[in-house]
Amino acid sequence: MRNTICLRAAVVLGMLLVLGGGLQSAAGAEDFAHIETILREVDTRSTFGDGDFAALLTVITEDPEKGVEQTVVRQFRRDREDQFAMLIQEPRVQRGQGYLMDGENLWFYDPSSRQFSHTSLKETFQDSDARNSDFTAWSYAEDYEITEYTEGQLGVNSVYIVLLAALHDEVTYPYLKLWVTQENALILKVEEYSLTQRLMRTALFPSYARVGDSVIPRQMVFVDELAEGQRTQIAFSEMSVQPIPDYVFTRAYLEQVNR
Amino acid sequence: MRTVLKTAVRSVFRQKRRSLLLAGAIAFGMLMITLMNGFTEGMLTNVRDNLSHALGGHVFVSGQEITETGRVVSRIDFDDRLQTLLETNSAEIASITRRSQTFGTVVFGSRQSAQMLYGVDFQAEERLRTSVAVTAGSLDAVMEDDQAIALPDSLAQRLGVELGETVLIRLDTVTGQRNVGEFWVRAFVEDQAELGMSAAFGHRAYVNTLLNLPSDSYQSLNLFLHDLFAADKMADQFRDVLPLRPVGEDGDDQAAAFGFGPFGQQQAPEPWDGIRFTIATINDIMEPIEAVVLVLDRLSLGVFAVLLVIIVVGITNTFRMIVLERTKEIGTMRALGMQRPTVRRIFLAEAAFLGLFGGVVGLGLALGAMTVVSRLTVAEPGLQFFLAQGRFTFQLVPQVVLLHFAILTFVCLASAYWPARSAADLPPIKALGGHL
Repeated sequence: MRNTICLRAAVVLGMLLVLGGGLQSAAGAEDFAHIETILREVDTRSTFGDGDFAALLTVITEDPEKGVEQTVVRQFRRDREDQFAMLIQEPRVQRGQGYLMDGENLWFYDPSSRQFSHTSLKETFQDSDARNSDFTAWSYAEDYEITEYTEGQLGVNSVYIVLLAALHDEVTYPYLKLWVTQENALILKVEEYSLTQRLMRTALFPSYARVGDSVIPRQMVFVDELAEGQRTQIAFSEMSVQPIPDYVFTRAYLEQVNR
Repeated sequence: MRTVLKTAVRSVFRQKRRSLLLAGAIAFGMLMITLMNGFTEGMLTNVRDNLSHALGGHVFVSGQEITETGRVVSRIDFDDRLQTLLETNSAEIASITRRSQTFGTVVFGSRQSAQMLYGVDFQAEERLRTSVAVTAGSLDAVMEDDQAIALPDSLAQRLGVELGETVLIRLDTVTGQRNVGEFWVRAFVEDQAELGMSAAFGHRAYVNTLLNLPSDSYQSLNLFLHDLFAADKMADQFRDVLPLRPVGEDGDDQAAAFGFGPFGQQQAPEPWDGIRFTIATINDIMEPIEAVVLVLDRLSLGVFAVLLVIIVVGITNTFRMIVLERTKEIGTMRALGMQRPTVRRIFLAEAAFLGLFGGVVGLGLALGAMTVVSRLTVAEPGLQFFLAQGRFTFQLVPQVVLLHFAILTFVCLASAYWPARSAADLPPIKALGGHL
C-alpha cells in the first residue's frame, strides 16, 4: 500500500516537473518571439524596401602601423534589386575606384587598369576594418537564431543583450552578440565571434538617422579585436532617398563617372 | 693516309696566325651554342626542381565537393580508389604529402601580414623534415604541440615575433566563415619568398579544425616520384580511375590542383555529387616555361647559324688563298706522283683539323666559363626561381654536344671542298709554273 502511494506521488511529481518544464520552455519561446520581432523590425528598418538611398561616407581608418587614413565614398543603394554602387572620391590617388553589386555579383573597378575584378561582400573595404557587407542591407532574423538573451544597460540605455548563432554557413560570422535598445529597437553594439567563438570585431552604432521610412546608423565604429589599436569610423552625410537613375548601377557608369 | 694527315697538320701550323683566327671563329661558335644549351637545360632543371619543392610534389591531386548552397569546397576524404592507386604505384612514388592549406592573416600585436599556411602531418612527411631549412627552434618542437607552428623567417621579422610567442591567424573556413586560430611559434624556417612561395607549417588536424573540416580530411595530395618524367603517365592513370571535376572555363580546376584556387569561394560550373578530383603534374605548369626555353634555344641556334655562315665564308676564302699560295707546291707533289684524291684529302684533312681543334677549344672554353659562372652566388631575388641554391647551373646533353661537333666539322669540310677540288684538279705543269 505504502509502495503504491509512493509510486503515485512519484508519478504526480514527475508530471508536475514535465508540465513545469514545458511551461518554462513555452515562456522561453515566447520571450524569443519577442526578441525575434525586434530583430525583424531592425532588419526592416535598416533596408530601403521600394526606395533608393544615397549618401556620402567618410571612412577614417586608424592603424598603429600605417597611421590614420581617410577615404570619402559616394554610396548608392537599391535594396529591392540587391544593387549598390560605391565611388571613391578621396584620397585622390584612389579616385575613380569603385564597387558595383548586382544580385550575387560584386565587382571592384580600378581605373588605372580599367579592369573589373570579382570581389566578395566578406572582403574588407579598402584595407579598413569595415567589410563590403557593412554597406548593404542585412538580415539578423533570417540568418541567425537566438540562443540566449538577457536584459542590461549600455550607457544610459536599457538594452536586450542577445546571443545569435548562424542558421547556415553563408554568413561571415557564426556567432553574434547584439545590444538592442528596449525602447526603440536600435542596435547600439555588435560583437562578432569566430567559429572558435573568439571575439574578432566589435561594431558600435552611437547615432542613428531617420531617412524616409528607414532608420540607419549615422555613425559606425568598427574595432578590430585581434590586431591592437585598429579601428575604423564611418560617418554618413548627405543622405537622400531620392530615386537614383538606373544607369548608376551599371559597369559603364563606374567606367565613365570619374574619367 | 698517314702522309696525308702529317702534311695536313704541318700545313695548319705553317700559317699559325691564320689558323688561329679560323679556329678562333669556330671555337667562338662552339662556345656560344654550348653555353646557351647548357644554360637553358640547367635553368629548366632548376625551375622544375624549385617548383616541385615549392608546390610539394610532381603529381598533384585535389578534391572538391559542392555544398548544399552551391559552394565548391576543397576536400579529400578516405577513398578506396585513391588508396588502391597509391598502393599500385608505390614503387614509383618517393613520398606522399597530404595537406590542408589556407591563405590567412597572421596577427601579432598591432602588426599583421598575409601568409600561406599549410596544415601538414609532420609524422608522415619525412621529406618536409629533411627539406625545410630550420633557422631557429626545431620541427621536433613543432611536432610536440597541436597548436605549434613553424613560421617563415621573413614573416617573423616583419611581425617582430620571437620563438615561444603566440600569434593569431585570421582565416576563412572552407565555406567562407571567419575564424581565428591561436598558434605557438616553435620554429622559424628559411623563406622561399624569392620563389614567390612563402609558407608557414602547422598541424593538419588543428588547421582542419579552423577550416571546419574533419581532422582526417585533407585538401591536396602531392606525390614526389623517383622519376620526374613518369609524372604524366601516372597522372593519366589517376584520371582514368578517379571521378574528375568538370572542367571550368576559367581554369579554376587547374589552379585548384596546385592549391592556388580560391577554395570555398567558387561557384561550380555544373553541379556534381560527392568528391570530384582534379589531377595535374609539374609538367602542366612547366609548359609556358618550356616554351620560353624553346625560344631561347632557337635564338641560340640562330646565332649559331649566323656564326656558321661566317665560318663557311672565312674557310672558303682562306682555302682559296691557301690554294693560290701553294700552287707550286701542289704542282711539285703532283709531279712526284701524288694522285688528285690525295691532294684533295690533304686540304680536307686540314679543314677537319681546324674544325675539330676549334670545336675542342670552344667546348673547353665553355666548360671553363660554366665552372666559373656556376661558382658565383647570385643574390638577386627575381632570379632565384632559375637558380639552384642561388647559383646558375649548366647541363650538357652529350648527344647534343656531339651533334654540334658533327655540324662544325661538316661545315668546315663542305667549305673547304671546292678549293680542295680545284687544287686537286690543277694540271702539274701549270701548277709548277705557278699558274692556276
